[in-house]
Amino acid sequence: MPPSDLRQMAVVTKYELLKYLRGKRLLIIVVLLAIIFIFDLVVPPTIGSGYDLDPTTFTSGMLNNIGILIVLCATFFGADAIVSEFEQKTGHLLFPNAVKRHVLVLGKFIASTMISVGAVALYYAVTVIAVVVIDGSIAPNTSLSFLYAFAYVFGILAIAYLFSAIFRSSVYSIVLTFFTFFLILPLIDATGGGIAHFKPWFTLTFASGIILNIFQQPYPVDATRTVGTTFANTTRTITVATYYPSVAQALAVIFVYFIIGLILALYITKRREM
Amino acid sequence: MIDAIVTENLSKQFGQFDALKDLNLTVEPGICVGYLGPNGAGKTTTIKILTSLLRPTGGKAFLNGIDVVRNPKEALASVGAVVETPQLYPQLTPAEILSYLGQLRGLDRDVIRERSVAVLNEVKMLDSAHKRMGDFSTGMKQRVAIASALLHDPSILIFDEPTIGLDPRGMIEVRKLIMQLKERDFTIFMSSHLLYEVQEVCDKVAIVDKGTLLVYDTVANLSIAGEVLLTAVEPITAQQCAFVQALPNVRSVKRVATSELLITVEGGLSEQSDLLDHVKSLGIRVAFYRPARSAIEDIYLRLVPEEES
Repeated sequence: MPPSDLRQMAVVTKYELLKYLRGKRLLIIVVLLAIIFIFDLVVPPTIGSGYDLDPTTFTSGMLNNIGILIVLCATFFGADAIVSEFEQKTGHLLFPNAVKRHVLVLGKFIASTMISVGAVALYYAVTVIAVVVIDGSIAPNTSLSFLYAFAYVFGILAIAYLFSAIFRSSVYSIVLTFFTFFLILPLIDATGGGIAHFKPWFTLTFASGIILNIFQQPYPVDATRTVGTTFANTTRTITVATYYPSVAQALAVIFVYFIIGLILALYITKRREM
Repeated sequence: MIDAIVTENLSKQFGQFDALKDLNLTVEPGICVGYLGPNGAGKTTTIKILTSLLRPTGGKAFLNGIDVVRNPKEALASVGAVVETPQLYPQLTPAEILSYLGQLRGLDRDVIRERSVAVLNEVKMLDSAHKRMGDFSTGMKQRVAIASALLHDPSILIFDEPTIGLDPRGMIEVRKLIMQLKERDFTIFMSSHLLYEVQEVCDKVAIVDKGTLLVYDTVANLSIAGEVLLTAVEPITAQQCAFVQALPNVRSVKRVATSELLITVEGGLSEQSDLLDHVKSLGIRVAFYRPARSAIEDIYLRLVPEEES
């Protein structure tokens, strides 16, 4: 008799992780992290600018690329996780087994999360070690920031899995995942705040702002200011708004993306035919 | 005894296209069934429904009495399947893929190790057991896929074109392997384009076209009728030819060479034997008397129109 769904899920996770560990994508992530560390830790003393002596500023500065890292992890480890089984026909070997589709998807999702969280944890670990060595103490709220990054990984991977379940070509799902979180949603965030004067609280990328905002004391709140400009004896004023996600709202938004994305990905994969 | 595979009015539509229409098929346990038909006939659709890769639009499919649509996990527990030529994960080795699938199927680690060696040896892939599969040829992948189907010693084996992509030696070896599996009481359901392969390997033959089952019978029953080629020692005269045409159970006679006739015979082995006696009594010295082509080939060509096959 086949084992329980939970046991099968663990098996799927184990072998998905093995595939990731042997793949080139993890190597790319590691190289990217190495480049970030070189720029943050090797370049400043080399060019004589030195390090920031405030642990909070140093930490938030070093973690400035965390969003890009998470988007790349979702693209590499989530965007083609399902579609590749159909497109490359590996599913012909995997699906005709006594295992439910949702078990396969959840097993894969756990593996994608583990490898992505591993990369994020490495980023935080090196940052914390560097800050402790250079500034002598850890920045407050570093652990909270890590938890928010962890939550963001869940949300973004669920959407990547949804794209992966919908599309027939992994190229589409990879490109759409990357551009959605690297370009489209950040563009909505920027347009909302700077021009259209609406708070883009509903986007996942806006919600991810809590990862770095948590380092600011006190936690920043929405603000508008009026700026006056005089040109040819005419004074004009413009109102500039700066929006910040509240922690509770951002976590709720991430949770909704995660739940809806994953449930739809499970449903579509279950219904999908080879 | 529960039938190994049963389909009841199984249907599948892709948009307006009927890929399968009310397929009713019963495969008894322990036999080997060849599933024949031209491209697009519905062979792979049937196999994909049986292996839960497709959902039927109508009807039911049972494996060992379990509904494959309602309970795929239970139904597929005692099934090994190779559908099309599956691609294998390039990062893994054959030993690892067998371990992966073995654990999914609930086998113990020791059993997986032991069975992996046995099945990889059976498909002659033991030497490559620990090489990553990224550079494997289609034939090597097909062998690993067959090994994975055999790993858990299932009672039903479903093969979709098992020799496709293999070189001639590989094809012979896989056919030999299937015949060995037949002797071990597996129920084997295999689709194929190769008629001689089915005739050589299978106990029963099902021919499907345009989603409809045309014939389903034992190879022995289907092998009775057909065309025979008669080769005489001396040239056959026109008079002798006319006499042959007039013999009982002879549907038609066609001269293919001065000393060779192609005779379409109606009836079974006994009628063919009688015909030979009659021919000899006409004074024709027979050098060879043999089927012009395989009986299944004959039936296939009769049932499946030329433009499709």
